[in-house]
Amino acid sequence: VPGILALVAGLVARMQSLSDGLRRRDDIESKMRDEFRHHIEMRSADLVRQGVEPGEAARRAHVEFGHIDSHREHARAARGLQLFDQARFSWIDVKLALRMLVKHPLLTVAAVLALAVGIPVGLAPAHLAQAIEAPLPGDHDDRVRAIRYWNPLTMGLSSTGYEEFRFWSEQLESFSALAAFRTAPYNVALASGRAAPAPGALVTTSIFDILRVQPAMGRTLVAADGEPGAPAVVVIGNDLWKSRFGSDPDIVGRDIRIGPVLHTVVGVMPEGFRFPANEQLWLPLPQEPVAAVGGSSSVRILGRLADGVSAEQAQAELSAAGGPPILDLLAARLRLQAEVVPFGFLYMGLPRSGLASEPGYYFIQLLALSLLLVACGNVAMLLFARTATRFRELAVRTALGASRTRIVSQIFVEALVLSILAAGVGVFSIDWLLGHANLAAIAGESDLPYWLSLGVTGETLVRALVLAALSATVAGVLPAQRIIGRAVYPSIRSAEARRSGVRFGGFTGALIVADIAVSVAAVGFALAIAQQTTNMRQADELAGIPAEQYLAVEFTMPFSGSPNDAERRRFADRLATAQRKLVAQLQSEPGVNGVAVSDVLPRMEHRSQPIEVEGFERGPDDPPQWMRYARVDVDFFRALGQEAIAGRVFDNVDVEGGPAPVVVNAPFVDRMLAGQDPIGRRVRVQGDTAWHEIIGVVAHLGVNMVNSESGGAIYLPAAPGQINPFQVGIHVGSSPTGMVSRVRDIATRADPDLVMGTPVVLSDVIQGDLYLTIAMAAGLVLLVGVLIVLAVSGIYAMLSLSVSERTREIGILTALGAQRSTLVWVILRRSLLQIGGGAVIGVPVAAWLLYQLAVSSSRTSPLDAIVVAVGLAAGIVVIVGLFACLAPTRRVMAIDANEALKADG
Amino acid sequence: LARQAELLPGTLDMVILKAISLGDVHGYGVLLRIEQISGGAITVQQGALYPALYRLEHRGLIKSEWGTSENNRRAKFYRLTAAGRHGFGEEKASWKRLADAIAVSLMATPQEI
Repeated sequence: VPGILALVAGLVARMQSLSDGLRRRDDIESKMRDEFRHHIEMRSADLVRQGVEPGEAARRAHVEFGHIDSHREHARAARGLQLFDQARFSWIDVKLALRMLVKHPLLTVAAVLALAVGIPVGLAPAHLAQAIEAPLPGDHDDRVRAIRYWNPLTMGLSSTGYEEFRFWSEQLESFSALAAFRTAPYNVALASGRAAPAPGALVTTSIFDILRVQPAMGRTLVAADGEPGAPAVVVIGNDLWKSRFGSDPDIVGRDIRIGPVLHTVVGVMPEGFRFPANEQLWLPLPQEPVAAVGGSSSVRILGRLADGVSAEQAQAELSAAGGPPILDLLAARLRLQAEVVPFGFLYMGLPRSGLASEPGYYFIQLLALSLLLVACGNVAMLLFARTATRFRELAVRTALGASRTRIVSQIFVEALVLSILAAGVGVFSIDWLLGHANLAAIAGESDLPYWLSLGVTGETLVRALVLAALSATVAGVLPAQRIIGRAVYPSIRSAEARRSGVRFGGFTGALIVADIAVSVAAVGFALAIAQQTTNMRQADELAGIPAEQYLAVEFTMPFSGSPNDAERRRFADRLATAQRKLVAQLQSEPGVNGVAVSDVLPRMEHRSQPIEVEGFERGPDDPPQWMRYARVDVDFFRALGQEAIAGRVFDNVDVEGGPAPVVVNAPFVDRMLAGQDPIGRRVRVQGDTAWHEIIGVVAHLGVNMVNSESGGAIYLPAAPGQINPFQVGIHVGSSPTGMVSRVRDIATRADPDLVMGTPVVLSDVIQGDLYLTIAMAAGLVLLVGVLIVLAVSGIYAMLSLSVSERTREIGILTALGAQRSTLVWVILRRSLLQIGGGAVIGVPVAAWLLYQLAVSSSRTSPLDAIVVAVGLAAGIVVIVGLFACLAPTRRVMAIDANEALKADG
Repeated sequence: LARQAELLPGTLDMVILKAISLGDVHGYGVLLRIEQISGGAITVQQGALYPALYRLEHRGLIKSEWGTSENNRRAKFYRLTAAGRHGFGEEKASWKRLADAIAVSLMATPQEI
């Protein structure tokens, strides 16, 4: 027992002493000096007592004691503080580092460029995940959560209805309040003015409390506004107030027309509030009576967690409560899971575990970090080359007693200054880019949701600094270790001979080979992407639709009446009438060749569902076969000038009740039926009970613009009034945009409640993933640029050092009559082999990527791909070789034998 | 004067602990006391004394306190801690075992083999 106690006491004492040494350094040092002084005085007094003359006694006492500073160093070392002292870097180190950066500007630019790309790339995945998970603006204590159904089969959302909202509002005690909302565009006008569409949301009045937002003017909606028979009121957004009502200070209390109904404006929300995404109108959501199965209208649900309740506790309560009894059976059949998630997860359709649980996430994170590692490796190589030129200085300093840790920490500070600079440049240029690039377009949306803030946060800055420090460790400490890990005396001797004695080993060679190989592969990838985008034209040819002659317009009719069955039927009839009138009017316009109605037009992003074909049913655990689908008017194909390749297209009989037949496109037949005759076969949505018979096959029809062969689709017929919102493709001979104002007039006449979206010419519609592809290609081009700059500067640095050190040798060889070309070859051989090696490794990868990505759409043969890849590699080799080797070669050619021998003799 | 003895590596700490165990003492006093108790046979290098004292303090075997020395100056006095007493006891026992073993070994005669 006493042994253990002594051990514990010893440990505690060590911790205490270490912490004192670090915290009270000055105090301890001053006391140490006092103690030493006392010692010397006592010794001096002893000597005086022994008869030594006082002056001599003091001198002798000092000499006997030795150097105070050295004792102090040893005393600190005895306390275990040595490492801290040596690793402590001073402001002078930072100044030295800055001077080195200015002294070698090319190296600085190359290294900063590499890390300024590498660090933000390394940060991006975590940054995005964090942005999506962040609490909504105004929800400072992060208490707002959405409640949703998740379908584990499709890994997607399943809709919730008013019935769920009512049930969970009554059942769940984990939430202090729940709210429901649904979005739709509305035609908005001042009582007398011309109407124009604005995005809006029907919300339960609790929403403003839950989101903790206050109006900028007037009030928000209150419970009484949602009661049946209450006067029609609306809260409008700041943007709408400014753009449509000229920032009218007296807007509160005025009447505006929303559709045909006059609403009183009761409040204006503050700038930036656009809940749930980009909405500008908030109307009370009508209360719904208890409905039969599936009878309630679809709403999204969110709530505020009650005080002291965690999201996990709320989830546990929700899982126990399940769904409303009449709907729970249905939910159970579909194996739906009720979940409590951050609002961003509901909006983005992410699984409950977030972005980080997506299978691709870690792969991308790993890829991003390996890119950063390659960048660090390259910077390490550059720093290594530069440190090598200072070898003499380092060797002398080591001989004079500078510890290795000291020198390593100085080189580390240089790398740290470099990487912090790069992190700053990288993070702030990305921040600038995010502020200026049209991110919404890249994501295929018209605007990003108001709560998604991709700007740089404090947390991201901290992460950037951590990555910078890690990068500095890789880029700085490794080369420093290699250089000072050598014996001092031989180093000084070689330093005297003006040779660093430093050899660039396999590490640098491997890096250059890797740079070139990755560049070649990335160029191949970028080229393959470029080729994919040109395939869009091909999809047009396949579809056979002259897209530039079509005007595409989306129409919506918002449903804001009481949600009972009679009202719903009335609404459907009204929508059907409006659609029929609209189409008939448009068709009678001069110059209009046809009007196609559907929920999605060719070239637009189609939705997908898991589909199975009769006779090829899939088990519940089989991975689903996703197929895109569209609901189309019976005249859709005729209006697009499409004829059936096999069977027939839709007719009026197909929507007169009974199980609806379907039409499929050619890629569907290829993929699902391996080209067998599809007519008469039946298909269904996986897990559904209703089968649909295939009655016809049409051409590709622009379902997947990037890769037409994976654009298989199913078309379901829909009668007028069954699709809301619906797309209208108007085939106008020439100049479709000239039709816009006519279309607006016709729509208003067909029904003032019909909200018209922004019209576009169909050939300008680009599927979202295309922009993503283009952004990716741009990123790859940037990557290749950085890699080439790195390879060039790395080789250049090595060659320069090699030429400087071998000037004398070259002089002697020249004097002995060696050919210049031989000398150049001797110097360049190694680098040229590395460049060539990289190209040889990169070619097959590039060829494979080119072939893989291009093969599905264009008829690229493997030979074509190899020829193109070899061409790319040759181009990169020439560029890198020329830039890196030209100047050193010229220096070799210019060496004068006499001068070289004299200078070094 | 007694003949000077070289301190074996690792024994300086033990000698210092012994000196301090005899009563609170300042740094210079440790030197004098070691000379005194060894009959002048052991002289500790002044340069080695303070790192050893700080090392022992760092390990919690001794602790220090500021007081007034015989010449009326502020001085740092060292004292053994409980852990120090325990540690010193162990080291002393271990040293005795080693010294005995060496002594016995050195006395060995060919008959004993």
